Amino acid sequence: MPTKTRPVEKFAKATAQCSAQAAAYGKCVVADYNSVHKDMCAKEFMKLKDCVMAASKKG
Amino acid sequence: MISLHMFRNLPRRCFAANASIRTYASQTPGNPMLEVFNRKTKQLQKDRAAMNVEESRKVDYLKDEVAMRLCERLLDIKREFPHVLDLGANSCNVARALTTPNLDTTAPEGQPTPPLSERISKLTCVETSKALLHRDEDMPFNKDIDIHREVIPDLETLPYQPNTFDAVLSSLSIHWINDLPALLNQINTILKPDAPFIAAMFGGDTLYELRGSLQLADMERRGGVSPHVSPLADVKDVGSLLSRAGFKMLTVDVEDIVVEFPDTFALMQDLQSMGESNAILHREAGPLSRDVLLANEAIYRSLHMEDGAPGIPATFRMIYMIGWKEDKNQPQPLQRGSGEMDLTDLLGGGDFQKR
Repeated sequence: MPTKTRPVEKFAKATAQCSAQAAAYGKCVVADYNSVHKDMCAKEFMKLKDCVMAASKKG
Repeated sequence: MISLHMFRNLPRRCFAANASIRTYASQTPGNPMLEVFNRKTKQLQKDRAAMNVEESRKVDYLKDEVAMRLCERLLDIKREFPHVLDLGANSCNVARALTTPNLDTTAPEGQPTPPLSERISKLTCVETSKALLHRDEDMPFNKDIDIHREVIPDLETLPYQPNTFDAVLSSLSIHWINDLPALLNQINTILKPDAPFIAAMFGGDTLYELRGSLQLADMERRGGVSPHVSPLADVKDVGSLLSRAGFKMLTVDVEDIVVEFPDTFALMQDLQSMGESNAILHREAGPLSRDVLLANEAIYRSLHMEDGAPGIPATFRMIYMIGWKEDKNQPQPLQRGSGEMDLTDLLGGGDFQKR
């Protein structure tokens, strides 16, 4: 199905619009990557996710 | 799988009813088959990837490049090869490289060199995925070389007689083999004496960026890790594997190919279209969750993207190996201490002792 956009492509496009939030989340995880634990950067992740959700609705 | 096998083979002992029962630690008899990858999964992945012909051809850039580099190594062997085996042929990328003229980049300019296929009378391509093997059979390069395509159910048991082939080539396939030592033994057997085995495979540090960032994303989002990238053989093991299988005059070398992708989604999509996605035996069912994918994208970028770069780098580490089947008349290394020339004289003199 080359004419139809695959869901992952849509997702990638939406993610690309949230580079600031992605950078903040990435920085949070990488800052202490030897002792990563669950929900260590939950706040940053939720911001990123909200942004991606909003962007994919618009697109 | 392995533990089950062990118990089934434990010797059965009978005990008298009143005797105290002791348990013994006992070694597994025989040679238990090591299974890391799910062969069925791998075959399905390759079939599905090849069904989408257009997409599958688009992602052949890596396999074509490695096939070219592999065949360049064949240029150094000035010989005719009546019958060559391409083990795990994918879409016959090696055949395509063999029919490419002017492969020799060291030849003087303006002097065309013939394609390697002129020295090869017959090429047998084996592969487990029928769709992938036959994908390009209508392309023009098929006319330049005598190709025999064979689909076999399993690359780990080769259906050939001993002393059949004048060379065995393999490009980007044997990293999916469960029992590499056994396969190398078989290759050594089916080669004629003094015939070379030349192969390229993905090695240890391939996709280390993705492996690492997926682990971090898994840890942060779900609190644990699961293998998303299949394990690979290490460079330092390849030499001993080859010599254990009886190969002589070994050459092993490593090359990194760094490919730039717009984002991790594109990288993973390409891997899928190559039929190279994870096929580890105990992998999680179902695709990666969107949360992990999203987290992975952000972490990969902060760890590996250089400032101002348009995309993210992904490293593929190729291990190239050459081994020769033993033969009486093969050149042998000289005995130790039999040298008649002083190396310091040969290299223009030196004053090691004086210093």
